[in-house]
Amino acid sequence: MFFLLFKRKSKQKPLRVILFYVLYCIVNEGVSFYLQSLRSQTFITLLNLFTIVEYTFFCYFIYLILPKGSIKKTVPFLWIGFILFAFIDYFFFSITHEFDSIASGIEAIIVLILCMAYLFSQVKGNNSLVVYSTFNFWAVIAFFIYFSGTFFLYLMTDKMRVSVSFQKMYFVINISFNILKNLLLCVAMAMKLNGVVKEQKKVIPDLGDDLFIYQKN
Amino acid sequence: MFFLQDQTAFTFSGVLVLGTLGMLFMAVMLVSIVVFHQRKVIRFNKKIQKMEEERQQMLLRASIQFQEEERQRIAADLHDDAGPLLATARLYLNENLIHQEPATQLQSIFSAKQIIDDSIQLIRNISHSLMPPTLKNFGLEAAVKDLFEKINGSGVINASARFHDNRQRLNDEQELLVFRIVQELVTNIIKHSSAGFIHLTQNAQGNIVYFRIHHDGRGILQRDFDKMEHNSAGLGLKNIQSRIRVLKGKIFFEIDNTHTYYKVTIEVPREPIK
Repeated sequence: MFFLLFKRKSKQKPLRVILFYVLYCIVNEGVSFYLQSLRSQTFITLLNLFTIVEYTFFCYFIYLILPKGSIKKTVPFLWIGFILFAFIDYFFFSITHEFDSIASGIEAIIVLILCMAYLFSQVKGNNSLVVYSTFNFWAVIAFFIYFSGTFFLYLMTDKMRVSVSFQKMYFVINISFNILKNLLLCVAMAMKLNGVVKEQKKVIPDLGDDLFIYQKN
Repeated sequence: MFFLQDQTAFTFSGVLVLGTLGMLFMAVMLVSIVVFHQRKVIRFNKKIQKMEEERQQMLLRASIQFQEEERQRIAADLHDDAGPLLATARLYLNENLIHQEPATQLQSIFSAKQIIDDSIQLIRNISHSLMPPTLKNFGLEAAVKDLFEKINGSGVINASARFHDNRQRLNDEQELLVFRIVQELVTNIIKHSSAGFIHLTQNAQGNIVYFRIHHDGRGILQRDFDKMEHNSAGLGLKNIQSRIRVLKGKIFFEIDNTHTYYKVTIEVPREPIK
């Protein structure tokens, strides 16, 4: 949060998307915790909604950072396709309205593929800047690691939620990867900070404009 | 029943842990591969860039050195030839002040005139070597033919030039650069190859103009030319390379299939006449 607040002035779109995503995650966690304590069924709806919103944030972010090409063009279609699928799954197939394992699994697969596409574009591109010194790379890594780690977890949640040992494991894995994701996003923010500092150093120093005023007179 | 449920949960937990660790491992491996590969690519690019910079530096140095040598040659020509000639003319004119007899005066004025004429011719020669007037006034074809006729006239080597398609000429700057390249190549052939003949052919295809020089002496091949480009030796060849770069053209050093003639081909893309 410190990094996010510190960087709020930045005008770069990918950074803003990540900022709002993190803020949304925090709000969602808070509301979920509150609803869970009330044992409200809205908690499940919120969880399903989180998948869609999280996916939307990611799609927008990856769309902004991907270089021009066919993969970038497919991102909006992937987004529309998944949103439609998630709604159809929620309203027509998921009768019990429990955890959306299938939607989460598909979301994870799409996110992982798009992350790999981004990494591949970085390898392929003729970039003189080392890839790990950029904000985009660390943000993508955060998503990549998070979705890799939680892929099996979310896939099995629907079937295994009644098991006590699984619930414990769910808690440990989910929290661990959430922390890891946030740490990696912090690293991403730090990268951005360094970039800004470097940019500021390049600003032309004060040339003493009074000299020119004197000449004009 | 409870035992079976617990057993299933245990199996699923195992799958979950193994799956999660496997996915994590794969993700970390993939990221590492990307990072290391990119670093490798950057290192390689930097190396290439450094080599290119060194090559540019070498070409620049060669160009400066060539300029300096040219200046020294002009200075030597002026100092050793024009200087003494003018000094002698001055002596003859001085003599006029001492000897008042009209016959002696006339003789010394005539001698001074002769010397001044020689000086004018000498300065004209120097000026022509800097910028051939034929090239300036009549273009590349005339200048090259003139150069080859002069070489032929010297009796050292048999030289001929033929232009097949020069209806659409290169612009002035390009013509001068091509002329300098041809001059340098011909000088090298005369100096180093012990050739019996040199023949230049010009032709054009589309927007590209080709110049090919054949000779029957000892020549160099493309690999020798490329090697010399990276050496500190071969100043003339470096100048050729720099000029080719300015022309955005290409140069090829080859030997014909019968291994009898060496040929140098220059490709020049036409630029609009300014």
